[in-house]
Amino acid sequence: MLFSSVGFLFRFLPIFMIVYLIVPAKYRNVILLAGSLVFYGVGEPYFVLLLVLSVLVNFALSRYMFWEPKSPQNNRKKKAAKRRKRALFLALIFDFGALFVFKYWDFAVENVNGLAGNRILPVLSLALPLGISFYTFQMVSYLLDCYWGKVSKRAGLIEFATYICMFPQLIAGPIVRYGEVSERMAERRIRIRDLENGLKLFAAGLGLKVLLANQIGTLWNTIMTAGPGNLHVIVAWLGALAYSFQIYFDFWGYSVMAMGLGKMLGFRIPRNFDDPYTSRSIAEFWRRWHITLGSWFREYVYIPLGGNRKGSARTVFNLFVVWALTGLWHGADWNFLLWGLGFFLVISLEKKTYGKWIEQSSVLGHIYTLLLIPVTWIIFAITDIRQLGAYLANMAGIHTGGVLVGTGQLVRYLKDYSFLLIACVIFITPFPKKWYHKWKDRWFMILFLLLIFWWSVYEIVVGSNNPFLYFRF
Amino acid sequence: MSRQKIKNWLENVYNCPYLILVVVSSVVAMLCFDEIGIRLFDHNISAERTVSVVGDIVRAEENQTLAEPPVTLEEVQNTEETETENQEPVSENLQETNENAGERKEETDIIQNTEELNTDAQEAQTLQIQEEAQKGVTRFLPYEPLEIESRYYSDAGKIALTTEYPYTLANDSYFNDAAFLGDSRTLGIYDYVGLDGADFFCDNGMTIFKLLKDDGVTEQSTGQKVDLKQVLQERHYGKIYMMLGMNELGYGNTTMYMQEYLSVVQQIRAWQPDAIIFIMANLHVSREKNNMETEFNNININDKNVACARLANGVDIFYLDSNPMFTDSEGFLQAEMTFDGVHLYAKHYDKWRQFLVEHAVEKESPGEVTE
Repeated sequence: MLFSSVGFLFRFLPIFMIVYLIVPAKYRNVILLAGSLVFYGVGEPYFVLLLVLSVLVNFALSRYMFWEPKSPQNNRKKKAAKRRKRALFLALIFDFGALFVFKYWDFAVENVNGLAGNRILPVLSLALPLGISFYTFQMVSYLLDCYWGKVSKRAGLIEFATYICMFPQLIAGPIVRYGEVSERMAERRIRIRDLENGLKLFAAGLGLKVLLANQIGTLWNTIMTAGPGNLHVIVAWLGALAYSFQIYFDFWGYSVMAMGLGKMLGFRIPRNFDDPYTSRSIAEFWRRWHITLGSWFREYVYIPLGGNRKGSARTVFNLFVVWALTGLWHGADWNFLLWGLGFFLVISLEKKTYGKWIEQSSVLGHIYTLLLIPVTWIIFAITDIRQLGAYLANMAGIHTGGVLVGTGQLVRYLKDYSFLLIACVIFITPFPKKWYHKWKDRWFMILFLLLIFWWSVYEIVVGSNNPFLYFRF
Repeated sequence: MSRQKIKNWLENVYNCPYLILVVVSSVVAMLCFDEIGIRLFDHNISAERTVSVVGDIVRAEENQTLAEPPVTLEEVQNTEETETENQEPVSENLQETNENAGERKEETDIIQNTEELNTDAQEAQTLQIQEEAQKGVTRFLPYEPLEIESRYYSDAGKIALTTEYPYTLANDSYFNDAAFLGDSRTLGIYDYVGLDGADFFCDNGMTIFKLLKDDGVTEQSTGQKVDLKQVLQERHYGKIYMMLGMNELGYGNTTMYMQEYLSVVQQIRAWQPDAIIFIMANLHVSREKNNMETEFNNININDKNVACARLANGVDIFYLDSNPMFTDSEGFLQAEMTFDGVHLYAKHYDKWRQFLVEHAVEKESPGEVTE
């Protein structure tokens, strides 16, 4: 179920909220867990079993990690340490194993088969369970936090399951660490103010997703439909810009909706985006983009590998690992690896050479970032390597097949999308957020958010009657 | 004490106007609109609207026999009551020709596989009947139809082939008096085929239902919305190419579509008595885009294509099927030719240009083979 669907907005959410609010506080976790499983199960009737299995296995291993046999033993400490290691090892094998099988198996096998020259391993063509990358990372973070003793109060089964499955962040994050919700998990009061503010935040996120991301997405689709390889250089850049807007507002909108829902449920879900497009370097961009993922990789990969404390060669290697994995986390294909490694290259260069200099000069830094980011998103967006090459060539003004999509189409695109593009530019600045916080209790803002909500619903309804609204032929 | 409680509660409520507005408006909206609410009334719009002359004809035919009488203008003229005021008398000789040339011939071979929309079959059929030289015949290849439970379409159980005719090669000026009416795919033809002399009236999301309405259509050369009714009455066209049906896949049903198509063609015929009307097949979608769970699939597209192909009379209305150029052996749009599974990449429109050039009809000597 998507947040931006009639089923969620007018069926699941109202029914769930009523039940959630009327049950006594001590049953809220159970209700939230049950509701989340329904939420997930509606879209993934089979993979919900995988989710439940993963939760049970991880919980069992998290308990086994600290299990102590009753009878007296020799080498008690040594054995306990061994047990902890074993539990962690099994959990990592299970979690990443499942992730690998569902997400990376085919990619790996195709490459192995390609290298070997024949089919030595079968391609499975499994569907990807919704949200597996997110919930796997969340479970691993809990297990590692337990292992390192960072969890002050370990979760009970219901608490752990609720923490993993909580519907606001189950499908697309933010990747919440248990420490961030453990207090509220044990006890939370839901004030009517939280419902009010949560709902406002939700409407804002819904608007970002439906009214900005989905709409500007059609421009990107239109340009891709014409086909990379024959795009005028400006059209190619316009397409890259449109995609940059789309992916940002889509993901940001989703994260804001998650925060809003979290608030309504009595949680505080951390923010995931902090005006990333106003960064002055790529390193800064990644501190502001998908913050919870960045910090996951920092906490659980980069620092355990030694971070920057083991000499500069090792630092570069660590960065390489982190960025290769970040790339692959986003998708199992070469372009994602390339995308990740592109960040590795740029961020390493920034660290070693021009980073300081560029961050000092604000104008230059902004220009540098705004020029580079659309290029990275093109690498992200186009999975077919040959098409990717053609598109990047077009962006550089190189055309092997002639320009078919030129100024004539450009004029039309600009005419059709000028208002939307201006709106997108406004929303990548920090101002809308500031205005929101400043005026969110004023009547005009309340009415504006109400308008946004119903406008979004209208678009969703029109779009779901004709699921191809955004692909209007 | 309890008064204090109520007071607190009211204060709280007063402090969250947004919550109240959303909840109240949602309740109202859910009661009023069944798109988001609980379906209180089952609006069966399509059932009401399909009671129509053409609908009856189609249903009668389908019940009786496979052989289809042509849906001709005069036939509808006789039976249709609502549209008569716009009808111009159709010339005598046209009616005569229609009696034989406009007949639809059903092939006896049954293609078992629903998806086998391939060109081989088409070629074989063409060769087989070439001696007969039945000019102006639009053939339908039957196959075993699938059971479809959809209010939007059914499986036509046949594939419409390009109207048989000794088409000629278009010369440079051929398209100078042509008009193209259509949706985003026609916009693609405008953008990438490069028929500079022709007028293009098309918009994303255009449907046969909207084509002649007051909202107008964008004339691509100027970028301005024009009222096509007016344009077609004022200007003179020798050829009119139409391609509409994609945005109708999830609207109304095929009978409504056909009825509307027919009335639009009649309307255009009335305003442009000399124009040759080319009804172009809607391009199929890719395997990836083909979704049997929605109405968005090639069976539905084929249903629409068969419906509009039935309007072709082989005299001044022709049906052109460009699908074989772009589809694979199962009738899916080839994946490497498209990004979204619906539209061709710009570079593939060359083929379409070739197809249009090869399918010219010379009005002056319709009986002679000029190749």
